[in-house]
Amino acid sequence: MIESFQHLEELARDRDLADVFLEMDEQEHAVPADMIVEALRKRRAVMRDCVERGKNGGESMGKLVGHEARLLNEAFRSGRTFLDPLTVKAELYALSVMGENARMGVIVAAPTAGAGGIVPGMLLALEEERNIDPERTVRALVVAGGIGSIIALSANISGAAGGCQNEVGVASSMGAAGVAYMMGGTTHQSIHAAAIALKNTLGLVCDPVGGLVEVPCVKRNALFAVHGLTAAQLALAGVDSVIPMDEIVEAMVRIGRSLPRGLRETAEGGLATTETGTAIALRLKEEANRRRAERAAERERAAQERKTGTT
Amino acid sequence: MPIRHDRKVSILDVMGPVMVGPSSSHTAGTARLGRVAREILDEDPLEVHFHLHPPLAATYRGHGSDFALVGGAIGLNVDDPRIPEAIRIAEQMGVKIEFAEEDLGEVHPNTVRVEIRGPNREAEIVGSSIGGGVIEVFKINGFQTRFKGDSPTLLLFYRDRPRMIAEVTGIIGDEVINIASLYCSRKQRGKDAFMQIDVDSPISAAALARIRAMADVAEARYLDRIP
Ligand code: SF4
Repeated sequence: MIESFQHLEELARDRDLADVFLEMDEQEHAVPADMIVEALRKRRAVMRDCVERGKNGGESMGKLVGHEARLLNEAFRSGRTFLDPLTVKAELYALSVMGENARMGVIVAAPTAGAGGIVPGMLLALEEERNIDPERTVRALVVAGGIGSIIALSANISGAAGGCQNEVGVASSMGAAGVAYMMGGTTHQSIHAAAIALKNTLGLVCDPVGGLVEVPCVKRNALFAVHGLTAAQLALAGVDSVIPMDEIVEAMVRIGRSLPRGLRETAEGGLATTETGTAIALRLKEEANRRRAERAAERERAAQERKTGTT
Repeated sequence: MPIRHDRKVSILDVMGPVMVGPSSSHTAGTARLGRVAREILDEDPLEVHFHLHPPLAATYRGHGSDFALVGGAIGLNVDDPRIPEAIRIAEQMGVKIEFAEEDLGEVHPNTVRVEIRGPNREAEIVGSSIGGGVIEVFKINGFQTRFKGDSPTLLLFYRDRPRMIAEVTGIIGDEVINIASLYCSRKQRGKDAFMQIDVDSPISAAALARIRAMADVAEARYLDRIP
């Protein structure tokens, strides 16, 4: 069993990182490597579909978001974007997935649904822009998942447990390792890409407006997909994280514990309790109450009808 | 209070599941918790009561956890596009659903107690959705345990007596099935006891029949991996 990132680096220094992770899972969970690869092949396809569907946007459950992907897509198609295509696509694909997520569409949690746009945003944009074999993307998903599974040895991956650093931070860290791997980086570089990405998300709080995975989550995914790409770029150029990955994860757990409850998904702090956030939450609550009352009335009516029907 | 994992989370747990949005801990994990209750009950439910730990009670509705919990309890998978319709479907099936708030103690914020009743049986679980769709059920029908739903599992309710564990594991061993973990608890010596055996590969119907036929076994429930 791989117990830490240090252990991983020793074990996988001169080996293909995806192979090492596949062996690890085979030993730990008795799932054969080819089954894992096959499952991830399907998940890559789900991500791809999700990006296609999401590009055109559409209203979310809470009606707070939904048009981000369409707007960026239109700007990109008509040559009105100023960033390079890889960056724009990473943002666009992350927004597309998150739009689908907010419409209760089918997505891949990577590692969570709330941070589910980041890994596909990074990897699918890179695959397309650099003409990378999709099979290599699948192996990068193995790497990203493996990195996440080692983080999960010491940290709970949820905003409720430790804030958004535990979701978006971890996703961006996983994606950065995957990108470094896809670009032909070494194990050392993948781990340092993960470290640089995670380190620079520490302290990120979870404060979703109205408790919905919409604001700030959707746009945050786009920004942190790009964040992960830049972390991978540094690591691939030979820049190391001074603080080792294991200690960064430890710091994340400590920071998560010291975050007040209001900044851990409860929607009782941060952006959620701004003037606008509070007003939105109130409106959502009123709408939910109205819907509940309507449903109850409908049930009542149906019961009445059944009664009169039988007498 | 974060729960330390005693078993490693797999790559497919992290890079997944494939699920209906919008939140892995509030939709996927909760759907799986509902599903665990449904699988333990092992029949279509008539009535399901969800008791939500306060932090979950505060956030569940906006995240669609109500649809997800109900969806799981009526047997839908986490990637079933009908999850957003689950409450309506349950109503059509005539299932009575209730949500309430309950302080479940020093547990993960997203913890729920599920009471489920069918025409012949009832069951109760307490479990947490700890993120990324991963769950930890730590109470089944009043017995302490550690259930994650990530491998085939045998749940055994029996009258405590010597040699019970040896006999059951013997039957499983006869099939050359590897046991991944085993949890036992009992309410009192010689009284109601519970055993959970997680295995690496499926247990055959023949072995199950042998286990059910053992003396002092009240109930043996076999669960596949919870999707
Ligand atoms: S703010 Fe909270 S809900 Fe939104 S992505 Fe971050 S952790 Fe998830």
